[in-house]
Amino acid sequence: MTEDIPTTEGESVSSEDRVDGSTLAVGAVATTLMATILVFLFRPALALPMLLAFVFVTAVGWVTYQAEVARLLTLVATILTVLTVAFITFFLFVSALPAFLEHGLGLLLIPEQNGAARWFFWLESVLPSDSTYWNPLSGAYSLIPMIWATVVVTAIAGAVAGPLGLFGALFIAEVASDRLRELIKPGVEILAGIPSIVYGFIGFQVLNGFIQTNFLDDGASFLIAGIVVGVMALPTVVSVGEDALSSVPQSMGDGSVAMGATEWQTMKSISIPAAFSGISAAVILGLGRAIGETMAVAAIMASGTQFADPLFDIFDANATLTSLIATQYGSASESTVDVLFVAGVMLFVIVAGMSIVSQYIERRMQRKLKGQQ
Amino acid sequence: MSDAYATTDRLVSADSNIYDRGLDTAIALSVVGFALGLVTLVNLVPPGASGGTLTTAFGTLLAVVVGAVGMTGLASYTNVVPVTSQRVRGIGLGLVVSTVALTVLAATLPVTMATLLGTVLLVEALAVTVAGVTSRLDLVDTEPNMSAGLLSGVAFGAIGLAMGGAAGGALAGFGSLLWLVGAVAAGVGLFLLAILPREDLGSTLPTAIVVGALGLTIVTGTIGVGWQWNPQTLSGGFTGGAVIPVFLLVGTLLSAWSAAKCRAGFGARGREYGAFLVINLNAFLMVAMMATIVVFVTIKGVGYAFHGLSVGALTALVLLTPALLAAVQFARTPAGANDWNAGARQLFRVLPLAAVGALAATFVSVLVTGSPLRYPYTYTVQVNRQGQALDTAIAVTPDTTVGTLLLIAPALLLAVTFFRSFGSLRKVGTESERTGSVRQAVPTAVLALVVLIGLFLVLGPAPFGLPLGGTLGFAAVVAGTVAAGGLAVSPLVGVLTSDGPTLADSAQREAPLFTLGVFGGLGLLLTALVLQPVAGVNPQVGPVDLVPAVAFAAALASLALATLTTIAKRSSEATITRRLLTEETRLGLVGAAGFTALVGLHVAATGVSFTVLGVSVSNASSLSWPMVMQAYIPLGAEPGGIMPAIIGTVWLVIGATLFAVPLGVGAAVFLTEYAEQGQFTALVEIATNALWSTPSIVFGLFGAAFLIPRLGGDESLLAGMLVLGFMLLPLVLITSRESIKAVPDEYRDASAALGVTRWETIKSVVLPAAMPGVITGVILGVGRIAGETAPLILVLGSTLNATAAVDVIGGFRFVSGPPFIANDALLTASASLPTQVWAVIAAGVSGSPQMGWATAFILLMVVLTFYAVGITARTYFRRKLNYE
Repeated sequence: MTEDIPTTEGESVSSEDRVDGSTLAVGAVATTLMATILVFLFRPALALPMLLAFVFVTAVGWVTYQAEVARLLTLVATILTVLTVAFITFFLFVSALPAFLEHGLGLLLIPEQNGAARWFFWLESVLPSDSTYWNPLSGAYSLIPMIWATVVVTAIAGAVAGPLGLFGALFIAEVASDRLRELIKPGVEILAGIPSIVYGFIGFQVLNGFIQTNFLDDGASFLIAGIVVGVMALPTVVSVGEDALSSVPQSMGDGSVAMGATEWQTMKSISIPAAFSGISAAVILGLGRAIGETMAVAAIMASGTQFADPLFDIFDANATLTSLIATQYGSASESTVDVLFVAGVMLFVIVAGMSIVSQYIERRMQRKLKGQQ
Repeated sequence: MSDAYATTDRLVSADSNIYDRGLDTAIALSVVGFALGLVTLVNLVPPGASGGTLTTAFGTLLAVVVGAVGMTGLASYTNVVPVTSQRVRGIGLGLVVSTVALTVLAATLPVTMATLLGTVLLVEALAVTVAGVTSRLDLVDTEPNMSAGLLSGVAFGAIGLAMGGAAGGALAGFGSLLWLVGAVAAGVGLFLLAILPREDLGSTLPTAIVVGALGLTIVTGTIGVGWQWNPQTLSGGFTGGAVIPVFLLVGTLLSAWSAAKCRAGFGARGREYGAFLVINLNAFLMVAMMATIVVFVTIKGVGYAFHGLSVGALTALVLLTPALLAAVQFARTPAGANDWNAGARQLFRVLPLAAVGALAATFVSVLVTGSPLRYPYTYTVQVNRQGQALDTAIAVTPDTTVGTLLLIAPALLLAVTFFRSFGSLRKVGTESERTGSVRQAVPTAVLALVVLIGLFLVLGPAPFGLPLGGTLGFAAVVAGTVAAGGLAVSPLVGVLTSDGPTLADSAQREAPLFTLGVFGGLGLLLTALVLQPVAGVNPQVGPVDLVPAVAFAAALASLALATLTTIAKRSSEATITRRLLTEETRLGLVGAAGFTALVGLHVAATGVSFTVLGVSVSNASSLSWPMVMQAYIPLGAEPGGIMPAIIGTVWLVIGATLFAVPLGVGAAVFLTEYAEQGQFTALVEIATNALWSTPSIVFGLFGAAFLIPRLGGDESLLAGMLVLGFMLLPLVLITSRESIKAVPDEYRDASAALGVTRWETIKSVVLPAAMPGVITGVILGVGRIAGETAPLILVLGSTLNATAAVDVIGGFRFVSGPPFIANDALLTASASLPTQVWAVIAAGVSGSPQMGWATAFILLMVVLTFYAVGITARTYFRRKLNYE
C-alpha cells in the first residue's frame, strides 16, 4: 500500500497527499505490529513471518515518512516497555493466586496443620518442637520461617551496611579531596559490580570454614550470610547517600562555615540533617537490595525450612525467600511452584514498595532543598 | 623564603610539643593495632603465634611501615610532595616508633600475639588517661567544652551495658539476674562519667576504662587463645581466636578517636579531628575490602585459569601493536612546564612506551634465538577429594604462525584509529591528467566487481552450466588484484621518481596519488577478495596465492611510504608542509594496517594459509589458552576449560542487549522528547526504578513460568537472553532518559530556530549529544547482567562440565513450514559463566573448587572490564564536556 506513494520529498507531492501518506504509513506500521503481537500470543509459529512483514513495512515507512514513523516507533517502544512491566507484575500475581487461595494467609501469618491453625507457632519455635513448616509431600506449606530468615539476614546486613555506608557517603561527599573522590567513587561502583555469585563462592569456600573454626559453628550461618549481603548492599547505600549529601546546596554549608563552624560541625548540624531523608532513602534502598539478594545467600546457607532455634540464633541457617526459590524451583511439584510464586510476589511487592518509598522521600527532599535555595 | 612562609613554619612547628608528639604516637599505635586486629581476624597471623612466627610477622610489618614512611619522608624532604602538616608528620613518626617497639617486644619477650595485642590496648588506655588528666590540670593549652556531649554519653552507656552484662554473666552466670545488675551499673556509670566531667576527662576516662578492661581481659588470659564459650542454646559459640581480634578492633577504634580528640585540643576542633579520623579509617576499610576481594579471587583462580597458556612470539607482537598505539597516545599528553615535577611526570608518561618496547624486544629475541620463554609453575587441583599438584607453564614459543582473527582484529583497530586521526588531503599537490582519469575509473571498477559478486551470489559460480566463475570470475579477480597492487605501489613510485628539489616537496606534490593509492587500492582489493569465494576461485602465482601476496606487498609499500614521509618531515621546516606530511604518514599507516587486515581476511575466507618469509598466517592460531579455548574434557589428563560457558555468556549478553537497547532508547526518546512531562512520565519513571530494584530471582520466576512453556518447554538460551533483557531494560531506559535530559535546551532551540523539524533535531542534535551517556549506561548495565546468576539458574538449564558450546550462528536453518527460519541452538540449554560457578557449589564435594575459583576469576575480570571501560568512558566524556 505504502509503496504507491511517491518517495520524493516536498514539491512533487501536495501537502494534503503527504498528510494522507504519513497517516497511511503510520497506520500500516501500527497494524502489522499489532498483528505480530497478536500472532505471537495466539499462534507463536506464525510470529516470525509477521515480524518480517512488520520490518518490511517499517523500512518502507522509514524511507518515505521518517519523522512520523520514528515517532510511532518510539511510542511503540514506550508502550512495549510499559506493557512488559505491567505484564510481569500481572503474571506474577496471577500465578501466585492459586496457592494463595488454597493456603490463605496461613502461608504468611499463621501456619496451618491438618486444617487447624497453629496459633502458638511462635511458642513452638522458642520451645523445641518437631512440627514441620515445609513438607511438600504432606502438603504442609508455610513461608514464615523463610520470612524470618530474610528478616534476620536483612537486619544483620543493615547493621553492616548502614553505619559503614553513612560514613562512606560522608567521606566521599564531604571529606575527600576532589582527586581522591575521583578515585574512590569509581571504586565503590566497581564494588557494586562484583557479581553476587563471586561473593557467594567466597562465602561457600572460605567464610564457612572460617566460622566453623572461629565460632564453633557446625556449618553455614545467618551471621556470615548477613555480613556478606551487607557488604553487597554497601555500595548502594554509599552512592545514594552520597548523592543526597551532595545535593544539599553549597550555600547552606557556606553559611555555617562563615559563622565560624568547623567542617565537622557543618556536616553534623547542616548537611546530615538536611540530607537526612535522602540518607534514609539510601538505607531503605540498600535494605531492598539485601532482601532481594539471592545467590550469595543460596551459596552460603544450605537450604533449610525450619525456624532458627532459638529465634535469635544467628549461628543457625535457613533458606530465605529468595534462596528458597532458587534452590527449590528445579525439583518442585506444581503446588510447590505455586507457593514459590507467593514468595516471589512477596519479594516483588516488598522491594518495589521500598524502592517507591525511597524515591518518594528523595523527591520530597529535592523539592524541599530547591525551595530553600 | 618570604616572611609569611617563615611565620607559618614557626606556627606549625610551635604547635608540636611532647603532649602532641605523644598523642600522635598513640593515634599511630591505634592504627597499627586496628590493622593487626584485621590481620589476626582473618588468621594471617593466628592470635596464638609466638617466637619465630611472631618475630617474622612483625619484621614484615616493620619493613612495610618503614618503607612507606621512608618513601613519603624522602618525597617530603626533596620537596616533591611536601608534607607540611605536623599531625601527618607526627603520625608517620609514631608509626615507625610503635612498630619498632612492638617488633622489639616480640623478638625479646616470650609473648604470644594475643598478649602483645592486649598490651597495645593497655598502653592506649594509659596514654589516653594521661592526656586527659594533663589537659584537666591545665598543663597544656586546650579548649575543652563543659561536657563531652549527650551523643558520646549514650554511646558509652551502650558499650557499658554490653560489657557490664557480659562481665556479670561470665562471673555469676546468666542464670541469676546478676548480669542484668552488672549491665545496668556499668552502663549508667559510663554514661555519667562521659557527660558529667569537663570534656577532656569525659571523653578520655570512659575510653580508658573500656579499652583498659578489654586489654586486661586479654593480657590476663581471661579470654585467651584457647578460650571457648559454647552455649547450648546456640548452634555456634565464641573462641578466643575470634573474640580477641574483635576486642582489638573496637578498642583501637575507640582509643584512636579519643586520642585524636586530645591531639586537637578537644572542643570543636577536637571533635572534628576525631570524627574525621574515624571517617577516614572507614573509607580505608572499604577500599581495603574491595581490593582484598579482587586480589583474593585472583590469587585463588589465576593458577588454574592460565594453565597451559602459550602464545607464539609473532602473535604476541601483533597483539602488542594496539598497546603500542595506546602507549604512544599516553606519552604524547603534555607534561606541563619544564621543572623537576614536570620531568618526573614526563618519565611516568614515557614509562608505558618503554615497557611496550621492552616486551617487544623480548618477543623478537625469542623469534631470533628460537628458544622459548617459559614460566613454569605448579598449582593444586582436587581430584577425587585429593589434592593433586599439576605442573604447567606459561610460554612464549618461537612460533611464527599468526591466527587470522588475531591478525584481523588489531589490524582493523589500527586502521580505524589512524583513519579517524586522518584529516584530509584534498586540493594538495598537483594531479596529472592520467591520475585524474584513473581516479574516475576506480569506482567504476569496484562497481563492476560488486555487480559480479551479486551475480555469482544469486546464480552460483556456474550459472546455466556455464563455468563463468572459473573464467570470468578468475579474470576479474586477477585484474582487480593487479590493479589494486599497482594503485597501492603508485604513491611510492611517484614520490621516488618525482623531480622535486627535496623529498618533502616530492611527497607534497604527489599527494593525490596517496589518497588514490590507499583508498582505491583497499577498495579494489577488498572487492576482488570477496569475489574469490563467491566465484569459487583462488588465483595463484607460483606457490603462493595472488591476493594475499599483493596485499602483503601493498602493506609493505604503504609502510615504506609512511617511513619516507616521516623522514621527509624531519628535514622540513615549514609548518604547513609538516602538517601535510603528517597526514600522509597517517594515510600510509592506514594502508599498512588495512592491507594487513586483508591478508588475514583472505586466509579466513579461503581457509588456505599464507606463508611468506617464514611467517605464516593461518586459521590455526599459535595462541593456546586451554581454560578459555577448550571445553571440558571428560576423563582427560588435562583439566580442560570453560569455553562453552564463555560463549554462552557472550550470546546471553548479545541477546539481552539486542532486546533491551532499542526498546529502552526508543522509550527514552519518546518520554523525553515527545511526551508531555507530567503524571504519565513520572509514573513510568517510578515503575522503571521499581523494576530496576526488583530481585533478579523474580525475573527468573517469570521467565521459567511464562517464557519457557512458550519457547518449546525446555530451559533455553533464548529464555535466558529475554530474562536478562527484561532486567537490562529499566537501566537502559533510566540512563538514556537522564542523558537525553542533560542535553541543554539551547541545542534544541538553536536547531528549531534554523527551521529544522523536530525529528531532524532529535536525530542530528539531541541523540549525538546524548550518545556518550547512553553508551556508558549500556556498558555498565551489561556489566551487571553479565554476572547475574539467579534468573539463569531457573531458565538456562546450565550443567557443570559442558563439553560443547552452543553454535548460534550455525544453528540457523530454513524450514518449509511457517516460521520459515528456525534456530535450534537458541532453544537448547547452554552453559554460562555465573551458572558454572553455581554448578560447582551445587555439586558439593564432587565439584572442583579450583575450577570454581578460576571461573569466578574470569567472570570477575569480564565484569570488572565492563565496569572499568564504562567508568573510564564516562569520566572521559564528562571531562570533554566540561573543558570545551
